[in-house]
Amino acid sequence: MNPDDLKYHREHAWVRVEGKNATIGITDYAQQQLGDVVYIDLPESGTEVDADSELTEIESTKATSPVISPISGSVGEVNEDLADSPEIINEDPYGNGWIAVISMSDPSEVNDLMSRDEYEKFLKEEEER
Amino acid sequence: MATRLTIIGAGPGGYVAAIQASRKGAQVTVIEEAEVGGTCLNWGCIPTKALIASADLLEQVRKAADFGIAVDGAVRYDLQRVRERKDKVVATQVKGIRALLKSWGVTLIPGRGSLLSEDVVRSVRKDGTTQDIRSDRIIIATGSRPARLSGFPFDNDKVMTSDDAVQLNSVPRSILIIGAGVIGCEFAFLYRSLGAEVTLTEMMPRALATEDEDVSAIIERELKKVKIKLIAGVQAVSVEQTPEGLMACRLSNGQDIRAEKILVSIGRTLNTDGLRLEDAGLTTGKRGEIPVNDRMETGVPGIYAIGDVTGTLMLAHVASHQGLVAAENALGGDARMDYASVPAGIFTRPEIGSVGLREHQAREKGMPVKTGRFPYRVLGKAHVMGEIAGMVKVIADAGTDRVLGVHICGAHASDLVHEGALAIRMGATAHQLGSMIHAHPTLAEGIQEAAQDVHGMAVHLPPPGT
Repeated sequence: MNPDDLKYHREHAWVRVEGKNATIGITDYAQQQLGDVVYIDLPESGTEVDADSELTEIESTKATSPVISPISGSVGEVNEDLADSPEIINEDPYGNGWIAVISMSDPSEVNDLMSRDEYEKFLKEEEER
Repeated sequence: MATRLTIIGAGPGGYVAAIQASRKGAQVTVIEEAEVGGTCLNWGCIPTKALIASADLLEQVRKAADFGIAVDGAVRYDLQRVRERKDKVVATQVKGIRALLKSWGVTLIPGRGSLLSEDVVRSVRKDGTTQDIRSDRIIIATGSRPARLSGFPFDNDKVMTSDDAVQLNSVPRSILIIGAGVIGCEFAFLYRSLGAEVTLTEMMPRALATEDEDVSAIIERELKKVKIKLIAGVQAVSVEQTPEGLMACRLSNGQDIRAEKILVSIGRTLNTDGLRLEDAGLTTGKRGEIPVNDRMETGVPGIYAIGDVTGTLMLAHVASHQGLVAAENALGGDARMDYASVPAGIFTRPEIGSVGLREHQAREKGMPVKTGRFPYRVLGKAHVMGEIAGMVKVIADAGTDRVLGVHICGAHASDLVHEGALAIRMGATAHQLGSMIHAHPTLAEGIQEAAQDVHGMAVHLPPPGT
């Protein structure tokens, strides 16, 4: 289910690295925990964000939750489709449900992220806790 | 002989004072230039809520499919019918007040009132004829009108005040609303529902700056959700018409906003001009208000002032209560105003109901308080209704636990807030409010849980930090 060409963050965000750019979204686990997404406060292009800090907020029928950025950099392209159809995040979290592209300021941060297998092991541990 | 009481203005302050005084045996005359019910009934509370009721129903019908209701064909509105319904609601209420005043033997004189001395009130009719009314007691209840920005070409159409907007002669493709206070925000949601592109500007750093910050934050998010653009911390500098006939407004941050129409909702100007206050020995305060004590009496014994013109809280129900107090005192009683527990509703989407202290006020005053919050989306009833946006917040004194403020942003907030008002008025503690059984499934459960959350004891919230 979780693609193996992505990197994962413990706050349940994923990263697809292409050169200096990193596309980010939330994981399938995150969208399941959230329930039906009703709104995402899309970040503004040009915003600077630090790794492990809040990029934006997602509102679901259950809760309002922060989206934590796995990496540092400045926000480039943003998925405007989510403004009208935030439910795409539930339907296709790893594809059309991407949130934003970040131009990385420190690509080495990617090394701190988890592989798919590591993330799935992490999820199992979380569940057992 | 009965006390002769003359009241200038038949708005929610004046007409209520008239009924109360008449009930107590006074011989009451009311002078009204426009229509009984004043701004509230004719250009404010009632007509705007009638328009918003149409818009709310429109939004409900748009969501019909979510509830399993099939609506065939496009959902649209008929602006003329919307207006007609609003006018009918207003006309019914006006008729009701006129009948009530008549039933209590109140003399209603159409005209513009002014003071000739401390015991004579003059009424000037539209045709210029005058009538001087000798009065033992006088109550000034002349209200307020929309404030205007100087240099802006108000024409009741392209550059409007709320008095024009409430007529809703058309729905523009785009509108700029200057001032994100109560009136600006209510009209922003209304115009948006009816399909206009709405830009809202605000001089203060946030929308609804007099509300609790948590309430502003929710409304700002809801504005975003429906794609109303809010620009806060700016002033409108100038306006000109473009060759295409649009209005172009220059903001203090250098931005130009173009829109078909502009609604200016920056506050209200007090109606004291032309009253000849000085002829009765009265002077106005810094903001043009008529200063009064807590008995609603001015500096001149026997002359009272109530409502917006006193520069206190500009709310119809405050004016009405001040009217009761003034009438009582004008007839020898000793009633006093207390503003600690004044609820107020704002008819945004979702609604707001607030009473008492805001958290930032507590901070400014250095008052130690505890707060509790509870989101609507945890309430079963909110999901049943499909209205999950919002929150209840309870503010309590950190020492005594007494409830000092209740702020609700969410469906039916303006009705729900009165439980908070009662708690404040009765001196109830957050513990008492939270330990009262609330019916399930209702939105009022949110008040109970928010009160419990003041002590970290809300049943339906996870432990903090999870």
